Amino acid sequence: MALWPQSSVAKKFLNAITGIGLFIFVVVHLFENLLLLTGNPDDFNRWAHFLESFGVVLRIIEIGLAAFFIAHIWSALLVYWDKWKARPHGYRVYRTAGWTSRQTLSSQTMIYTGIVLLAFVIWHVITFRFGPYYPIMVDGVEMRDLHRLVVEVFNEPINVVLYVAVMVFLGFHLRHGFWSALQSLGAYHPRWTPVWYSGGVLVAAALAAGFIVIPIWVYLYL
Amino acid sequence: MTKKMTLHLRIWRQPNPHTPGRFVTYTIRDVSSDMSLLELLDVLNEELIKKGEPPVEFDSDCREGICGTCGFLVNGVAHGPKRGRTACQQYLRDFKDGETITLEPFRAKAFPVIKDLVVDRSALDRIMAAGGYISVNTGSAPDANSIPIPKEIAEQAFDAAACIGCGACVAACPNASASLFVSAKIAHLALLPQGQPERIRRVLRMVEQMDKEGFGDCSNHGECEAVCPKNISIKHIAIMRREYLRALWSL
Amino acid sequence: MATAIKLDSKVPSGPLESRWTRHKDQLKLVSPTNKRKYTILVVGTGLAGASAAASLAELGYNVKAFCIQDSPRRAHSIAAQGGINAAKNYRNDGDSIWRLFYDTIKGGDFRAREANVYRLAELSVNIIDQCVAQGVPFAREYGGLLDTRSFGGALVERTFYARGQTGQQLLLGAYSAMMRQVDAGRVTLYPRREMLDLVVINGQARGIVCRNLITGELESYVGDAVVLCTGGYGNAYFLATYAKNSNATAIWRCHKRGALFANPCFTQIHPTCIPVTGDYQSKLTLMSESLRNDGRVWVPKKKGDTRPPNEIPEDERDYFLERKYPTYGNLAPRDIASRAVKAVCDEGRGVGATGRAVYLDFSDTIREKGIEYIKEKYGNLFEMYQHITGEDPYKVPMRIYPAVHYTMGGLWVDYNLMSTIPGLFVLGEANFSDHGANRLGASALMQGLADGYFIIPYTIGDYFANTTLPKVSPEHSAFKESLADVHRFLTKLLSIKGNKTVLEFHRELGMILWDYVGMARNAQGLQIAIEKIRKLREEFWNNLKVPGDNNMLNKNLEMAGRVADFLELAELMAIDALHREESCGAHFREEYQTPDGEALRNDEQFCYVAAWEYTGDLGKPELHKEPLVFEFVTPTVRSYK
Repeated sequence: MALWPQSSVAKKFLNAITGIGLFIFVVVHLFENLLLLTGNPDDFNRWAHFLESFGVVLRIIEIGLAAFFIAHIWSALLVYWDKWKARPHGYRVYRTAGWTSRQTLSSQTMIYTGIVLLAFVIWHVITFRFGPYYPIMVDGVEMRDLHRLVVEVFNEPINVVLYVAVMVFLGFHLRHGFWSALQSLGAYHPRWTPVWYSGGVLVAAALAAGFIVIPIWVYLYL
Repeated sequence: MTKKMTLHLRIWRQPNPHTPGRFVTYTIRDVSSDMSLLELLDVLNEELIKKGEPPVEFDSDCREGICGTCGFLVNGVAHGPKRGRTACQQYLRDFKDGETITLEPFRAKAFPVIKDLVVDRSALDRIMAAGGYISVNTGSAPDANSIPIPKEIAEQAFDAAACIGCGACVAACPNASASLFVSAKIAHLALLPQGQPERIRRVLRMVEQMDKEGFGDCSNHGECEAVCPKNISIKHIAIMRREYLRALWSL
Repeated sequence: MATAIKLDSKVPSGPLESRWTRHKDQLKLVSPTNKRKYTILVVGTGLAGASAAASLAELGYNVKAFCIQDSPRRAHSIAAQGGINAAKNYRNDGDSIWRLFYDTIKGGDFRAREANVYRLAELSVNIIDQCVAQGVPFAREYGGLLDTRSFGGALVERTFYARGQTGQQLLLGAYSAMMRQVDAGRVTLYPRREMLDLVVINGQARGIVCRNLITGELESYVGDAVVLCTGGYGNAYFLATYAKNSNATAIWRCHKRGALFANPCFTQIHPTCIPVTGDYQSKLTLMSESLRNDGRVWVPKKKGDTRPPNEIPEDERDYFLERKYPTYGNLAPRDIASRAVKAVCDEGRGVGATGRAVYLDFSDTIREKGIEYIKEKYGNLFEMYQHITGEDPYKVPMRIYPAVHYTMGGLWVDYNLMSTIPGLFVLGEANFSDHGANRLGASALMQGLADGYFIIPYTIGDYFANTTLPKVSPEHSAFKESLADVHRFLTKLLSIKGNKTVLEFHRELGMILWDYVGMARNAQGLQIAIEKIRKLREEFWNNLKVPGDNNMLNKNLEMAGRVADFLELAELMAIDALHREESCGAHFREEYQTPDGEALRNDEQFCYVAAWEYTGDLGKPELHKEPLVFEFVTPTVRSYK
């Protein structure tokens, strides 16, 4: 019942659970990507090869991840669709009351930042996951030279600019998404919710910054 | 201190649900700053009637902020600028002399406009009918003190029960969600021992009815809390979700 | 048509304590399967209406519930602040059913029926149980048990409360119970409907005519009984603590169809309201009587003392309630406190810009018990005061003045709550039954719920079991006539096309009533009032301007109908006040007072309920007297000293 969201509450459960899953993936992915900056190209390639060695298991994880994406997007679109249905005639004058309102540019643009992120993910997967295969020998084993691919891509200034821009969107998405996912699952605490809410800014900024450093670093130094 | 003011009211005028509405601006001079916003509308209506123009229809009853009848957007904010108050408790002293005040009806598919600033909020009653009660027939109650309830719990239940059903939460919500209204009732009853037997049925039915009425989903903007005249916290929305999860779990 | 009516109160005999029980045992019952065949029209959804609709539906009757608001939850019971009395004696402070009964009947200055008041006190206990079971979040102590506080006119703490929103919480409880029956299909709701006529067929109340306030359509509803729970008529005074839409139309139209109107001059003026600030004012706001538990009422000793309150030294202040009524002090009953406030203002010692206000000062309590204590007990009231006045009552004393708050009078009902029209039951403030000439604080909620939850479910069954009710359809000529009458009335209002608005007429009427039929009355003033009311009524029907049309949402048209009725009722209020040549409770005739200015009752001549019959001539209603017999208490001089 919860998986196929029929109620408004269940839609948000699904969106929150998948959102948290994707958030964890993004955090892990950031740490993986930071291997690009170790100074030794083999570190990154070794890790990628290690993941590849899981074979079928990795495929399953990839499919799972894709399913999370789809469910996240699907539930978000349902919420968005309901929003339009629920107020077909909008206000001529509307503003937030301020005070304790959590309505921010971030919360208002979740659907748009989400669409940008979706487009980015598609480009990202095509470019890297299904990009050209450069072989390389590391520790006597032949593996894919993903490091070279990354360097090639991010030596194009346009790619760097786009990537950085998208990561700003990611930050915006997480600024509301981080605390909102917890609230959607019913995790409200008079003491901790304000911490999560304010902490969301730091988490979002840190993740966005972490991702932004990589292409710039690659462009400048590699 | 009392002073005289001139104010411009830009009001949504719509003769009936089927005719498109528009804003009309009126100027009222020399009114006392001690006057309430609704009294300003009374003054305007008297002028309009004398001039042979249709007066502005708006809902209002108790005029002391408890019945939940009044409500519209004042300069884009449900109920108006002063926090924790209904529209009838907004006073002119909180506006600037010469200011243009925009009044617009609550807008949501579930709250169709009837006329001018009057909307139909009966959807909220239907949600209440779906489970906003404890099933106890008259005469079957045990002695009131046979169920001790910790003071803290009673206070928390009260915080939720303070909802006046004005619909400002729906009006202010970017998604036109009724979650704050619905969750306040669910939380009120779920917190009390008397509300336990119907916990599961209540949350499932009330949420189902809320969706049926065509309200949007809650995206945690928290705007509802900021406009609620009774300062009801979105904590209750989280409680509703926990209640819902619990209900799903036990099915 | 007159003189046919004989008032039979149907009060049972026997020991006071067992009267209701015995009466219930003797009432006839309707079988569960037969209950389904009866339709009951409940008009008004406040405490009395919602509780009646819920309880009757639970029994199996078909209920149609009507209200003028957009939702039944908005009824003005919601605004009651302070609390609800119940003789639970949880405090061990000597309370008992007898004591609550005695306080209430004494508070009403011995102008109510003993048996009714005793029943009320008896049922108070069940009300609290019922409401707690519904989830009403009453105030509690740390041990988890219910808290109580004291209220005017009582020396025990028997008032249960839910912050300053007791009425709201009780109403939501009753509303919830009713919504449960809506869900069960036993109650059908008709919001935004205004009852404009009662349809009487073969002498029985068989239906109502309503105006759909959105479309303007007139609708007929057939029922086997009509239960009127439409509240009081205090808005006749225009400025009152009532909601803007509270009105007397339903009871007045029933009166004109034959229901007797009892004690119309008994109108309560509540001492602690926020004073009037300007002529634009649309209503007055009450500050709960509970505030007098911790606030002290005073004025400067000197006339025309314009110093700010905190600059007036202690020995130049007159705590006049404490001085005049040392036993009850600031908790003197409402009528007494109101008159005392008026007296000091008349002496020229009133405060504020208009001189029509006294201080309600909390500084002593704040000093002794701290600001938190006040915040917890009265936080929302203080906030409300600040919203309205822009002043901070934690820092400067509140300014208060009396305002019209409640009407003890109403349609005459017998012990079964049935009016003089068979099948027309009247509950709550709309009837006259329990409060005599003055109502004590925290008793209105009690009465509304006692009537709705615990009395009507028994007595209505007896009526059905004893009555043959022929089948009636909305096509019946009585409905047709009634529809035509109402239509004519509305068309007439719209067709005058004069120059004065409804609001102007209403304000003028309010001024007349306040000046001559207010806190103190005298024969000369009352005669003037009657003249003025007649004149104003004539002007109303010649110079009224109602905008818009009948076939749409038109609040001015609604108000016009209500003010038309107030203009008729007001005359009856004055006539009743003029005829009652004594002072009792809220009815204070200046000619009848003790040397120290207290009310002087005349039990020899006026120990009766004055029930007025409409004769077709508003100036000549016929008086029927229901003598009040006191078998168990002796009417005494009501002293709170």
